[in-house]
Amino acid sequence: MRAVKIRRFSPGLLLLAIIVASISCGRSAKNEVFFGRVVPPQTNILRYVNGDEPESLDPSVSSGQPEGRIYMALYEGLVEYHPKTLMPIPAIAEHWHENDDSSEFVFHLRHNARWSNGEPITANDFVYSIRRGLSPELAARNAYLAYYMKYAEAYNSGAVFVRDSKTNQFVLEKDIAGNPAQKTQPLSERVLAHGEAEYKPAPEEPKIADDTPFHQFMHSPGRLTLPGDEKARSKQIAQNPKLQSAVVGKEFVPVSADDVGIEAVDDYTIRISLSQSAPFFVGLLAHQFFRVVPQKVIEQYGARWTEPDHIVTSGAFRVKAWKPYSELVVERNPMYWDAANVGLDEIHFYQSSDNPTAMNLYKVGEADAVLNHTVPIAWLDVVRPKKDYMDGTEAAIVYILMNVTRPPLNDLRVRKAFNMAFDKVTYSQSRRITKPLSAFTPEGIFAGYPQPRGDGFDPEQARKLLGEAGFSVTKREDGSYECKNFPVDQVDFTFNTQSANKILAEFLQAQWKQNLGITVPLRSMEFKTFLNVRSKLEYKGFALGIFGADYMDPFTFLNIFYTPGGDNGSGWWDQKYADLLDEANSNLDKHKRYELLAKAEKYLLDAQPIVPIETSSVNWVKKPYVKGMYPNAAALYPWKFVYIEREPSRWDYGIPSLNN
Amino acid sequence: MLRFIVRRLLITIPTILVVITLTWGLVRLAPGNFYSGEKKIPPAIEKNIRQKYGLDKPWYQQYGRTMWGILRYGDFGTSLKYEGQSVNAIIARSLPVSATIGILAYLLALIVGVSVGSVAALKQNSRWDYASMALAMLGISIPNFVLGPILVLVFSLTLYWLPPSRWAGFPSRNVILPVITLSGIYMAYIARLTRAGMLEVLRSDYIRTARSKGLSEKDVVVRHSLRGGLMPVVSYTGPALAFLLTGTVVVERLFALPGLGNYFIQAALNRDEPLIIGIVAFIAVTLLSMNLLVDIAYAYLDPRIRY
Repeated sequence: MRAVKIRRFSPGLLLLAIIVASISCGRSAKNEVFFGRVVPPQTNILRYVNGDEPESLDPSVSSGQPEGRIYMALYEGLVEYHPKTLMPIPAIAEHWHENDDSSEFVFHLRHNARWSNGEPITANDFVYSIRRGLSPELAARNAYLAYYMKYAEAYNSGAVFVRDSKTNQFVLEKDIAGNPAQKTQPLSERVLAHGEAEYKPAPEEPKIADDTPFHQFMHSPGRLTLPGDEKARSKQIAQNPKLQSAVVGKEFVPVSADDVGIEAVDDYTIRISLSQSAPFFVGLLAHQFFRVVPQKVIEQYGARWTEPDHIVTSGAFRVKAWKPYSELVVERNPMYWDAANVGLDEIHFYQSSDNPTAMNLYKVGEADAVLNHTVPIAWLDVVRPKKDYMDGTEAAIVYILMNVTRPPLNDLRVRKAFNMAFDKVTYSQSRRITKPLSAFTPEGIFAGYPQPRGDGFDPEQARKLLGEAGFSVTKREDGSYECKNFPVDQVDFTFNTQSANKILAEFLQAQWKQNLGITVPLRSMEFKTFLNVRSKLEYKGFALGIFGADYMDPFTFLNIFYTPGGDNGSGWWDQKYADLLDEANSNLDKHKRYELLAKAEKYLLDAQPIVPIETSSVNWVKKPYVKGMYPNAAALYPWKFVYIEREPSRWDYGIPSLNN
Repeated sequence: MLRFIVRRLLITIPTILVVITLTWGLVRLAPGNFYSGEKKIPPAIEKNIRQKYGLDKPWYQQYGRTMWGILRYGDFGTSLKYEGQSVNAIIARSLPVSATIGILAYLLALIVGVSVGSVAALKQNSRWDYASMALAMLGISIPNFVLGPILVLVFSLTLYWLPPSRWAGFPSRNVILPVITLSGIYMAYIARLTRAGMLEVLRSDYIRTARSKGLSEKDVVVRHSLRGGLMPVVSYTGPALAFLLTGTVVVERLFALPGLGNYFIQAALNRDEPLIIGIVAFIAVTLLSMNLLVDIAYAYLDPRIRY
């Protein structure tokens, strides 16, 4: 009875009417070419939703991708990423050359590079920036990226040299090494014979004046380094009698910033010496960690140098205003050497960690572009057919680690069986924004790389392999499989709690149950807890792995299993694999090197410590009037090339090509 | 009265210390670190980081240092995640945002809630009563993470009237949707409280006396019954305002507001110990002082209460 009364006065019905009306409006908008409102701004301002709040404006400190994008506006390095291919292009270094085995590099800086306060940027600024980045006091998380440089790791980890105080001679690595012939010395460590040419003759290159004492120091055989921490050092010495006799009566000298393999040969020339061959090194130098920071300002203000009142930048933009947790506004830096070619007057980096929030801003036209991985799956049907949807393979992989230290996964046949029993193609079709991954490196982003392929989906073979390993799979009457004696309590799939991961976990569980008759229990945990469990190999069976490239080279992925520690997390390590990678990296010929890397990758796939799952797609949107921004594989954009196009005939209709 | 206030303030201090200590311990028990990310950090770098932030020291030294900073200087230290930003500055910066939204939401809730509740009570069992109570029921049962997106869908994404998110200072059009979203549940609750309180008062003896004295209906309602009828609303205001002031996680995340709630959740996820402790301590202080204010307000509103 009362309900009847209420119906006469019903604001609820009004609300319902509005919602229905709005949804039907949304329906009618389906025919539009772009997603949401497209009104090009009258000013040259780009409003970009950048994701999480930046930790800091100091490029040496933070390691995140949102920060990386901000640093690309504010700071420049020796080289910059190409907007499409991400290969290194000249920035503050006009040109460079490398020695015959890619273990030493010389960079020639442009003479017109200036800080945002007008002072010139010179070679010493780079030497300072890299030494600072490596200093133990700064404790930069990215410092490991510079470990290829000579004595960089030693300096960063507070190691010491061993010196004979009487003769001033240092104990050398080769004095201690068990087998001196084990590794070929890179050119950068060799003492050059008189007149021996380290670099290929390049007549157009300006000749470096004279050999410096520092260069000679770099070219001397590697010195022995020991841990700076006394306890760790004593332990290491006690374990090695040869070492014991070598250090007796000698003094320990801390490795200092001056020992790191970077030298300002003159004001506009930098020489970087590595402790190994690294053909990918120049590409790595575009990374945020290697961008140049202002010595004077940092020494004056300490950790507060990044505050808007103090900060001095080296890139195409400078800080205008910073409202933490809301937005960072950067404006054109008139002192920038290439200021005339910078297309934008300002960039507003919006902070938002919530995908629908970012997409809402984009739809109503309050943001011009959003970060990668932002279009929610549920929106894909609507957004993907639009001409402003950005798709492309990302230099990031999702894979499953197997703990090879514990049974039953210490058996290669069992590992192979689990890999073959998972249908990646169907899975990635269901995920809709990913591509199946059959090897360990993402497919199609490294031009000319002869990528190997791992085993495909083959449930028949998988059951056979399991049977050979002693876990016979039998077919029940109803057609399903069961594997009675498989120790299900010895395995589970561990992952961090996130809806996308849960989808994978459930799919995986269903596939393995369907094809092998094994129900692997699922175990989800909070992200930081999960990382801890995984790195200590405290998980049973399977754990989720996700990795994004540090630089555009297959080695950034293959490097994961180069050492037993670090990101490895599987317990699998093989000297032969590491040797293959070493051999590849000391090979000058790019094709030959790629072939060797591919051989190493194949070796890894054969050992199967992993089940490759998928490569992500970049999955973001940008308004058609935003030009010069491409869906590249790292979601990093050299902002100086981005501009606002008001003439609709020159807009991007569809995904701009990544080919040059 | 003064003795009561002083006594309450004195109890506050040990309470806060206990809260801080418990928080400190809980952060420590949580696995993971502020510097752990998807990529594993080499041990040498981890050691550098631990040294830089004093995490290599024994726990009692770390605890002592934290407490000393707080007690001696009122300084909660520097955020571990946000290099070089002091916790005090972060709170000072984000509080105004949360407080603006919170106070506006509460004012809106109070105005609408009290009016609707009073009308419902005065016209008990009328169509107005049923309608408003039905709406209030709806308001209580729709959580703000549902209400918010619906409002955004209708007023931003479809009608393009209001911005869907982000902070643009106050006053601006950006505050309208978050304030409405946040106030919804409080509005409904206050309406119900007011109605219940008013109904009780309207039946009481002193209202009958007032009526029999020949007071006008307006005087009876405004001067006598409203004052007594609002008591439940007042006691509700204390904790409600404390939570509104210190930020509401859901609404701030939904509308990307740089408020305290947003920082709080992020700090917990980041294991940013000084920031977590700072915000927890701040919320505790706010909550305790709001409760004290409510108790004082009681004494003024109800002549029967004396401390």
